[in-house]
Amino acid sequence: MILQSNDLIKSFGGITAIDRLSLAVEEGMILGLIGPNGSGKTTFFNLVTGIYRPDSGTVIFGGKDITGLRPHRIAQLGVGRTFQVPAPFSKMTVLENVMVSTFIRTSSMGMARRKAREILEMVRLDEKADQPILNVTLEDRKRLELARALATEPKLLLLDEVMAGLTPAEVKASIELIQTFRARGLTMVIVEHVMDVILSLCDRVTVLNYGRKIAEDTPGRIVNDEEVIRAYLGEHYSARN
Amino acid sequence: MHVKSDRAKSKSVAVIWRWASFSLIFFILLIIPWIVSPLWVRIATEILMWAGLAQSWNMIGGYTGYLSFGHGAFFGVGAYITGIAMMRLGCPFGVGLLLSGIFAAFLAAVIGYPTLRLRGAYFAIATWAFGEMMRQIATILEITGGAFGMQLPAFLNLPFFYYVTLGVSGLTYLTTYLLLERARFGYKLLAIREHEEAAEMVGVDTVTVKIKVFALSAFFPGVLGGVYAYWVTYIHPDSVLGAINTDFMVVMAFLGGVGSLWGPFLGAFVVQLVNRYLWLVWGEGTFYLVIIGAAICAVVLFIPNGIVGLLETEVFLPRVAFTRLRRIVKW
Repeated sequence: MILQSNDLIKSFGGITAIDRLSLAVEEGMILGLIGPNGSGKTTFFNLVTGIYRPDSGTVIFGGKDITGLRPHRIAQLGVGRTFQVPAPFSKMTVLENVMVSTFIRTSSMGMARRKAREILEMVRLDEKADQPILNVTLEDRKRLELARALATEPKLLLLDEVMAGLTPAEVKASIELIQTFRARGLTMVIVEHVMDVILSLCDRVTVLNYGRKIAEDTPGRIVNDEEVIRAYLGEHYSARN
Repeated sequence: MHVKSDRAKSKSVAVIWRWASFSLIFFILLIIPWIVSPLWVRIATEILMWAGLAQSWNMIGGYTGYLSFGHGAFFGVGAYITGIAMMRLGCPFGVGLLLSGIFAAFLAAVIGYPTLRLRGAYFAIATWAFGEMMRQIATILEITGGAFGMQLPAFLNLPFFYYVTLGVSGLTYLTTYLLLERARFGYKLLAIREHEEAAEMVGVDTVTVKIKVFALSAFFPGVLGGVYAYWVTYIHPDSVLGAINTDFMVVMAFLGGVGSLWGPFLGAFVVQLVNRYLWLVWGEGTFYLVIIGAAICAVVLFIPNGIVGLLETEVFLPRVAFTRLRRIVKW
């Protein structure tokens, strides 16, 4: 197990956002995380990456207890993450944005520049490398999010709705891109509302509702699960299959 | 291929331009004490001092995006430390300066440790309160001479102070260039300014980086305060620890262009020159503050990126200006 959460609880005021959540991610797999809005998917990411500290429970990454560590420490240990709403460093170029991430493993400017270029090539943003963020489209900003996360050389990558707001053609390109990451042996957890993405990428799917895990199975079986249909997918989805 | 070589050519021209103008400015700065009257050497020293102070504020306020409203306190504390070191401990001037810088940086680290975890207005308020606190402390302590101020040994050598100030301020700009413009430390600062949470997420230890840059930004005003104390030979809580010192740093940095290398220099140049001109015309008074205040309003409204931002607009690029000129004179 590369990532394991045990009985995580996190509440904000009276609302329990994550309720005794235990999850396990095996090395090399892609886990899909789905559920209605407010079911705790992003909160879970924030707990794993150290933005929030859980009220109770533990997060184990690579055999090490990382509960309560600061986010930059967790990033150093090898957890990368993208933001649902792209959060680029606005007054820097695309390349400089990625360079900031590479400084986690190198202090040489030349090395940082080379590595950042390599990663931009990988996500096909190399032609925009010297553009200021202002000139960059939403799709490219989403790719920049990916590039920035990859540049920290993570062992585990948490993708928070990297497809949201993209056209079907762009979604298809992104799926292919993520498949190349898988080919490199990167473990991923994907939060996504576009079910086709989940179905075509994930090895396993976990469904959250009100911060609780209501199902976990292979994608094929998840879409026919009674409770999942009731809570999230809706009747027409199972009928379609 | 053709386009590329063209671009390379214009880039090398730009480099030559930069070095030529840079050497010229440096040369002028070096010979100033020998070509102008003592009054203007004095004004030039003041401009250089403010240029260094505004740049040090720019490190934390401009590059990192944390507005310090207590930066004048580092200047004042530096002035007092050098004064105490020379008068009470019998240290030479140079040692006093070093102690001033180190103590100011240490103070900043102590203040920054709790307050740099706060975002937005909290840091500004906390640093402002710190500045006020320093002024009150200097007023009641015995070692600082309290409300009577402190007299230092007189050393009347204008060129000496000019060159020391040039050296310290020059070091401020060199540090900014090497550490903030050309190294990973600077990239981390910009990342913090632009999106702190994202910076933390890609491995930037934001709290440590912020404390480091705050300490660095306090070192230089500490040293400059020491230089100032020995130069003017008399310091008082209201003169070196007054809030006006911070105000001027902020104003100069904003006027020149916040977060840029040469902005604070340009801002200090313009503000201090206008300042002194009005003072020469109208004599001692505070009316010039009204004019400066109006100028600041105009800057914020019409050139939010400061003088540097204005210069970077197309028209002022040497190449663009040149081609336009050629078109006008049909050559």
